[in-house]
Amino acid sequence: MAPPSGLHHSALPSGSLNTSSTAVNGTRDHPILARSATAPTTLKPHRPDPSHLAPEDAFVSASPPRRPALFDGGNGSGNETRPRRIRRKEASRSRSRRRKRFQKLLWVKQSYPDNYTDQATFLENLQRNPRVQPYDFWPLVADSTVIMQHVCSVIIFVVCFVGIFQERVSPVSVVGWGSFATFVGWLLWDWWVGQETQEAGAVDGNIRAGPRDFRQPRRQDSEVALPGFNPSTTSVSSTSNMASAASSSTNLVHENYRSQRSIPNGYDTANGGNLLMPGHAPSRSVSSVHSATSQTSLPKADGYGYGDGAYWDGPPSRWGRAKLRLGTIKSAILIYFTLLGLSPILKSLTRSTSSDSIWAMSFWLLAINIFFFDYSGSGGVRKFPVASLSTNAALMASTVLASRLPSTGQVFSLTLFSIEVFGLFPVFRQYARHRSWRYHVGLTVLLVLGAGGGVGMILGDKDEQRGLPWKNGLIGMVVGCLISAVAMGGCSWWLIGLQKYKNEIYGPWDPARPIIISRRHWDDE
Amino acid sequence: MAPTYNIAMVSDFFFPQPGGVESHIYQLSSKLMDRGHKVIIITHAYDGRTGVRYLTNGLKVYHVPFLVIYRSTTFPTVFSFFPMFRNIVLRERIDIVHGHASLSNLCHEAILHARTMGLRTVFTDHSLFGFADAASILTNKLLKFSLSDVDHVICVSHTCKENTVLRASLDPLMVSVIPNAVVAENFKPPDASELSSNSFGQNPPPARPLGPHDTITIVVISRLFYNKGTDLLTAAIPRILENHPNTRFIIAGSGPKAIDLEQMIEQNVLQDRVEMLGSIRHEEVRDVMVRGHIYLHPSLTEAFGTVIVEAASCGLYVVCTQVGGIPEVLPSHMTVFAKPEEDDLVAATGKAIAALRANKVRTELFHEQVKSMYSWTNVALRTERVYNGISGAISEAEFYGYDASNPATWSATRGRSGVQSFALIDRLKRYYGCGIWAGKLFCLCVIVDYLIFLLLELWFPRDKIDICPDWPRKPRNERRESGVR
Repeated sequence: MAPPSGLHHSALPSGSLNTSSTAVNGTRDHPILARSATAPTTLKPHRPDPSHLAPEDAFVSASPPRRPALFDGGNGSGNETRPRRIRRKEASRSRSRRRKRFQKLLWVKQSYPDNYTDQATFLENLQRNPRVQPYDFWPLVADSTVIMQHVCSVIIFVVCFVGIFQERVSPVSVVGWGSFATFVGWLLWDWWVGQETQEAGAVDGNIRAGPRDFRQPRRQDSEVALPGFNPSTTSVSSTSNMASAASSSTNLVHENYRSQRSIPNGYDTANGGNLLMPGHAPSRSVSSVHSATSQTSLPKADGYGYGDGAYWDGPPSRWGRAKLRLGTIKSAILIYFTLLGLSPILKSLTRSTSSDSIWAMSFWLLAINIFFFDYSGSGGVRKFPVASLSTNAALMASTVLASRLPSTGQVFSLTLFSIEVFGLFPVFRQYARHRSWRYHVGLTVLLVLGAGGGVGMILGDKDEQRGLPWKNGLIGMVVGCLISAVAMGGCSWWLIGLQKYKNEIYGPWDPARPIIISRRHWDDE
Repeated sequence: MAPTYNIAMVSDFFFPQPGGVESHIYQLSSKLMDRGHKVIIITHAYDGRTGVRYLTNGLKVYHVPFLVIYRSTTFPTVFSFFPMFRNIVLRERIDIVHGHASLSNLCHEAILHARTMGLRTVFTDHSLFGFADAASILTNKLLKFSLSDVDHVICVSHTCKENTVLRASLDPLMVSVIPNAVVAENFKPPDASELSSNSFGQNPPPARPLGPHDTITIVVISRLFYNKGTDLLTAAIPRILENHPNTRFIIAGSGPKAIDLEQMIEQNVLQDRVEMLGSIRHEEVRDVMVRGHIYLHPSLTEAFGTVIVEAASCGLYVVCTQVGGIPEVLPSHMTVFAKPEEDDLVAATGKAIAALRANKVRTELFHEQVKSMYSWTNVALRTERVYNGISGAISEAEFYGYDASNPATWSATRGRSGVQSFALIDRLKRYYGCGIWAGKLFCLCVIVDYLIFLLLELWFPRDKIDICPDWPRKPRNERRESGVR
């Protein structure tokens, strides 16, 4: 995967320009071929080199420093007029000369052959890498923690499965600890939400006064991008290959967020908890003004969609939150019993399939989960298919894996655990990242340690476990930390290193980006 | 007496499908035939049009059966076209293969096979491509493949030339700029009888002064797609109409953005001032154009923009965005340029309306001026020079304009521009430079192509293929040549 060494001296990838290496050398070797060489004195019928372009010149004249003042970074097409006008004036002045100056115009009858290439004007509007933003190392590493978190949680899930499958770990303890963690996470989340609604309630009055003025900040907010939630509800519940238990469990998560996704959806949800959710007025009032765009541009404050509680009452009410909690507990119990009922069916789901196919299948499904996961954290409607693909793949992987397990209890435990890991945990992770960077880092470290330790323990000898159960785990943790550090740092460094091969070419041939002020119909494409 | 050639125009795009490339091929072919050349056209079979057809002037069209995948582009199979192509080329004793349009797979295959068979090749590029998105990268790689061994390339504008040179890594000297043209007779301004005035047959035609309260009609004819700038148009129309009473719009064309326009009309209650005609046939374009005074062209990318030349030929004042090759096409007294921004477009249209109201623009003279600027005869003449250059009728030094006595000045491009050698090893050298992996792959394709060629020579020997009798050629009119360079 290492870049070809032959290209080190050149900023051009070999793909785009055939003679790139000579071109770059040409910059140094032939300074004569600069623009000033087009003085009209050299224009004879069969002139030697200077008035004609050598192919190097395509690249020499392409180098940005030649006319830096003209490139304002935006669109190149607007800049064309000035040099051309000037040239036209010069042309009229030099009419006395034997040959008129070459003009880059088609309607003029030129006294040059059609394949004449004018040094002064050829490729004058070409820009290279006008919009490149260099990456910094530490921000890249910081951003890669999101991926690390997800990979680690997938690893932890696989480790738990292997533990249950090899009967090293009791399934009850896995699901017990998992549920306990989920419960703690839910309490924490509930507390955070409560805090934030209070803050939002304080701002509420201002926003109510001028909902119109709120429009601009909202746009900025949505660009800065903050975790909303990946709205995978509908598609999760529509997956045919998932047990309905799984889907209803994701509903447990999503019912809280659904209201955010679209206004009509939020209104006609039959779920009581939804309408009574604690929230603040702005999200509803604003979004009803701009219902068309509100789905994607909700401000971060109500990124979790607890905003529609304001349907009845503006400030959050204690009664509403209690009702919400009650609803959540109700759905949790419902899911618990549905899963319990479905477990025997799941157990025999893939009995006729060989284990090898199941391992391969679950590997690919988990790979799909990792690759298509919505790491951006700004769950908008646009990301919709991709994000739900990821969740569905993970839940299907867990279902087929669970169907390998021999007893109903194990199947139940693994399925419930997978719902916690793939359905609820990403939400919590996103919210933790949104809340505080410190929580995020802590969670990452915890996950890396857990994944490393788990893998270490699984790989360790089964019999040896009786003696030193934590030794392998500790080694695994150390190795896991090392690998993750190397992976995050190495990949970031590699990406930065690859930037020097970046060669974006912009010119008048690119479709212009229209600037439209009243962006009513204009969707940023 | 310059030699005459047997030329095969190859493109996926030809009649009965309407379009700019199609009419370019047709017009160029018929003008070349007028100059005494023999021209045939090779395209794929269209619905209800297969086999060999003859068009006006004895222009022969081969409709080759081929699988069409997307927007009348054939499926790229690299080699499958070769047997039939070889047969046609031998039957018609073709010297020069001229391919059109970079999205046409048939044309690229034909160029590859023609070089294998030892024919001269020319390619005409009609469109602009970016470098950023995946589709462009793929197209550019394929273009590089087929243009690695082409003898000459023709582009329709200087911007297009820059684009093609970059995309296919060509030597700029083997790329000529020959613009499109219009059939000026088909785009005449409304004549006296249509205007129902009594001025008759005057030369120059009389001015049509506009009163201060006369209605100015702005015409837009374009397919309503994103890259044709329909979003700009939608945003600008209400503002233009608001700023200028006594103006109205006529919009012809259809497309996915038509719904936006209709919505805009309804929101602003402009039904009586904006007329939407839907899609119109090419023959009706002129009749729509002459109903207006200003032609508005908000496109976001355009290689040449034939339609603005047609509009100017009809005597319309042109307001257009300054993108792609458009700024090269018309002189400044016929156009008002705008940046591709809503504000600027509104301002430019306002400027054009004010200029017309002040009767500063002599639109009645436009037709004659455009007629002298763009004609297909001229295009054919310039294309003929390209043919002469690649077939050696003009010396290489004259054609490429380098000093033959001083080879040091031109060493860098000799390999490319002196594409005289058909030796397989020389061709492979040219393909090999296309990229680390692509170069090797391309070489493989060329070798396979050569082997297929040898096989075909054994299987269908040349002397077994019938020679097609030619139409009587037109005598070459040397007088016409003297006027133009």
